[in-house]
Amino acid sequence: MKGSTKTSLVIYGLMGVFLLLAAAFLMNLWGQTAERPQIPLVDPEFIKTATVRTSYAELVSAKADLSDFDCYGCHEKGKPPILRFDDKHNLLIPDEHKDIVMGHGRNNRNNLCTNCHDENNLELFQTRDGRELKFSESTELCGSCHGPTYRDWSAGAHGRTSGYWNREMGPISRKDCVSCHNPHSPKFPGRQPAPPPHTLRPPLTQPAHAAAEGEH
Amino acid sequence: MSVHPTSGEPKPEGMSRRSFLRTSAVFGTGLAALAAGLAPLLDVKNFPSLQQFMQKYYKELTPEEMAVVLKRIENEVERQYGIRPHVRDLKPMDGVEFVYCLNLTRCIGCRKCVHACVAENNQSRNPEIQYIRVLQMENGSLDMEKAVHDYDPAKVPEKEHFYMPVQCQQCKNPPCVKVCPVHATWQEPDGITVIDYDWCIGCRYCEAACPYWARRFNFAKPSIPKDRLNPEMDYLSNRPRSQGVMEKCHFCLQRTRAGRYPACVEVCPTGTRKFGNILDPNSEVSYILKTKKVFIQLKEELGTSPRFFYYFDV
Repeated sequence: MKGSTKTSLVIYGLMGVFLLLAAAFLMNLWGQTAERPQIPLVDPEFIKTATVRTSYAELVSAKADLSDFDCYGCHEKGKPPILRFDDKHNLLIPDEHKDIVMGHGRNNRNNLCTNCHDENNLELFQTRDGRELKFSESTELCGSCHGPTYRDWSAGAHGRTSGYWNREMGPISRKDCVSCHNPHSPKFPGRQPAPPPHTLRPPLTQPAHAAAEGEH
Repeated sequence: MSVHPTSGEPKPEGMSRRSFLRTSAVFGTGLAALAAGLAPLLDVKNFPSLQQFMQKYYKELTPEEMAVVLKRIENEVERQYGIRPHVRDLKPMDGVEFVYCLNLTRCIGCRKCVHACVAENNQSRNPEIQYIRVLQMENGSLDMEKAVHDYDPAKVPEKEHFYMPVQCQQCKNPPCVKVCPVHATWQEPDGITVIDYDWCIGCRYCEAACPYWARRFNFAKPSIPKDRLNPEMDYLSNRPRSQGVMEKCHFCLQRTRAGRYPACVEVCPTGTRKFGNILDPNSEVSYILKTKKVFIQLKEELGTSPRFFYYFDV
């Protein structure tokens, strides 16, 4: 009889364990996946392929407002504008051109408008080797000083490329210098970076960015 | 045991009523526990269809069979996302070997490439899968151990820092291909290392083998908002992946094998990224490799021979 009692004990014990297991599984007491943090979708602005500026040639083809390029709307023909400088030889920019920030070249050594603009015909450029160029030919003007960069650009190694790498299958699209660089201060401006990666594991220290994004 | 010593009556052979009840009660509770334990299986959706389960290896598929497979994928994507995609199977072109050049002098670390890549290649938005990581390092060093991934200032570039985007280097001697136990990843004749998502078993050996941390694993079913799905797809590249498979950069195969530039090249605001056919002497990449001076093939000493070159304007 003793053996039989032992068997009963074991069997009822097993039943208890099984019932507990069943209850635990049904109530999903473990193995629950952690709630995934919400990740905001990236702003579509960041995946646009537009350049940072619009060149004159692009404005023309987009039929945009070109009044900014109509020099003789204000200036007088045959009368070159007079440049004024302060005592440190900084160019004094007149109020009509307040949007221009002079920053071409280091140490303020390239601050003469007529280095590029033709004083006798303001709607043209002049290169140092005496050529006259239209506004739409500004890349040639840049190339007249920036030789190595112009060479790289011509080969496709400097600047933006889009379209087709395989010229037999479609056209390649190149951009002018002024599609990205502001000719008056050509250094590429800083810009806001797109959001950093969100890791699967919650970070040990909450980055300031994630906290800020959680709010909106 | 057949005759009870005290009562003298013969007991029936085998099981008594009591032990039968007892045993069946235990069996019953055991089965109930088992059923309860297996219950989560009922929640599993998207079991592979029989057609998908029985599908042959990519390299063994005849063009007719491939057409059937592409149709199946189109149907599946339409069922899941409500958009009819255009799934192709573009083959490598003759006389083409892709090479990527990245100008470290120009990169400003804006991460536009990262997100253009995600949008183009239908990567999961949550959990987030990104093929490109942009490392921020201090000028004068190339210590990737100290590189920062999650920099987020108001404006980049930051002073005294440079930025190094890292993605699949499309090695000539790829360690990830060697370790795959099922040949689900291989190198194509145009230099792109691809993955057959229907053949991958998700063992993640390739992830461990890659010295560039370029491979990503789908721990969960990828979540892609319907309005952000790119319907131009290719079998080996940006069709939606399932849970439990690897993925990685494939030089936007669905674009580049159709002659176009990868998405990261097109979106880069500074012209840092250059892509082309190294076998064409007139391509940009040929020009760069011929004329520029300083190159880094990342972790060159490992002998992986990347098709991805970092250079500086000198």
